[in-house]
Amino acid sequence: MVKKRFPKLSLLMLTAIIAGCMACRYMMTKDPAYMDLANSSAAPCRAFLFGTDAMGRDIFSMIWYGGRISLLIGFLATLISTAVAVFVGSVSGYAPPWADDMIMRMTDLILSIPSLLLTVFLQAVLGGTGVYSLAVVIGLTGWMGMAKVVRTEVLQLKNTDYVLAARCLGGGFFHILCRHLAPNFVASILFMVVMNVRNAIVAESTLSFMGIGLPVEVISWGSMLSLSENALLSRSWWTILIPGAFLVTTLFCLTNLGNYMRRSVNKRHSNL
Amino acid sequence: MRRKSLGRPYLTIVEELIKFVLSIFLLSVLVFTLSRLAPGDPLYAYYGDRVEKMSMEEQETARERLGLQESIPVQYVRWIKGAVRGDFGISYQYKRDVKEVIAGRLGNTLLLGGLGFIIIFVLALFLGLFCARREDQRADRVVCGIGTLTSCIPDFWLSLLLILVFSVWLRWLPGSGAYSVGAEGSLADRGRHLILPLSVVVLGHLWYYAYLVRNRLLEETRADYVLLARMKGLSGKQVLYRHCLRNALPSYLSMMAIAFPHILGGTYVAETVFSYPGIGTLAYESARYQDYNLLMVVSLLTGSMVILGNLAAKLLNGRIDPRMRLKTGAFKEEAERW
Repeated sequence: MVKKRFPKLSLLMLTAIIAGCMACRYMMTKDPAYMDLANSSAAPCRAFLFGTDAMGRDIFSMIWYGGRISLLIGFLATLISTAVAVFVGSVSGYAPPWADDMIMRMTDLILSIPSLLLTVFLQAVLGGTGVYSLAVVIGLTGWMGMAKVVRTEVLQLKNTDYVLAARCLGGGFFHILCRHLAPNFVASILFMVVMNVRNAIVAESTLSFMGIGLPVEVISWGSMLSLSENALLSRSWWTILIPGAFLVTTLFCLTNLGNYMRRSVNKRHSNL
Repeated sequence: MRRKSLGRPYLTIVEELIKFVLSIFLLSVLVFTLSRLAPGDPLYAYYGDRVEKMSMEEQETARERLGLQESIPVQYVRWIKGAVRGDFGISYQYKRDVKEVIAGRLGNTLLLGGLGFIIIFVLALFLGLFCARREDQRADRVVCGIGTLTSCIPDFWLSLLLILVFSVWLRWLPGSGAYSVGAEGSLADRGRHLILPLSVVVLGHLWYYAYLVRNRLLEETRADYVLLARMKGLSGKQVLYRHCLRNALPSYLSMMAIAFPHILGGTYVAETVFSYPGIGTLAYESARYQDYNLLMVVSLLTGSMVILGNLAAKLLNGRIDPRMRLKTGAFKEEAERW
């Protein structure tokens, strides 16, 4: 058996980025929201380590300050989508077959609605484009895949003797879910949870970039990149490359961690 | 007994068709209600900023004329009456028949998505085989590393990067549109405009599927028949290509049937960044500016493609892999777990 190596470097870099964002107060060299119009679109130099954007804001400070928002949305959205997925998935798996079929059909239906429409709608319902409402929107649009996995796990688990025993002893649905089902499927969705953090961060940046996520004033990695169309014209590469590099590094580290947690297919040696 | 089993496939098809129509109907109700409940004024889509200069009465009459005054169920009944006759109304934004607006752009998206799909289909198989052959050797690790990295790059940022490098710095390729003004008919020009968006579509999806192929093949190599084939004297390469690949292909084909609508739908970010005139940009605009009629058709189109893709996968599976007839849907769950 080939042992999977623990992705030390990824964990280290991820920790560094998260720590840097958490301690952004000490990292920032300037006020990230201050628009220094005399120095707009300045190339990286000693005063502005990563340059400034078209509005004259210091990119080095924005990265750390905005990273907090991006990461916060990633984790919050995942919390929401995981909760919904576990609930829907286990109810569906535990319910009688006709109800299960119906819930799964609804899930498929929601999956076939263009996600953009769903996002725009949810955002309108929740009102405004704040950090928390965006996290809720992303969370509510990203639970379907995980719900299906939870359902298959529950389908297998619900026929085990210990679940039967718990039911005979009068255990309610939530008791069985928390004590008997969840501990068993946690391992198989852990990978998807990490991937959901990644997808939520991607969603935030894509939506903000397209102008339907966070506004430019709320600094995040995505909203920093929403100015890139202008940056292409003014050829200020740093406003595109630097926030993007941080974004991609974070996503890459998360993926490596996720892949490590994925249940290994290499349980046996290849016969080839 | 025998006749019953012969009739079964046809029954399934009829059954699936009914389910398909039902799902599309439900989807249309859902999208119709959702889009009308979402705040925002469709008059803006029709009149633009002129709405602000209109008096209240003028706005009322305009709404009356577009049929936006009635309750949602009444509006829906009117919409579906037209829809079954093939009349989907006019786009508020383009002030033309919705079908015309879409027809003008569908080709572009199909070209981008279709080409992307074919390239992904072939390359993923090739890459998967390449990696499976060299499991955990250096080449496999390098390809996996690069693949994982590309799968982590958000589509929109990759688009920006490519525009920055190839059209701003190097000036090799155009960074927006589907053709240059005045050269609409030129194939070479279309091709040049297609390269960057196509690269985004391919790179954005390729590794997901290649990795799937790789893992599926690796699972296959652990089976006992591989030992037998090796004992028989076949080389590892022969076993992989003749036996493992053949066993892995059915699930790959059905995977790709599901992937088709995803890849087609995945073009919309690339379309938006490259201002490529396709369905994706239409979907984006119509959802943002409450162009109801256009939105309905675009969402039904994408929705039916997703459902048809799933259906094709299911039918394909039963056809080529008899093992799958017993465990429907198993491959899907398997795929999601990867």
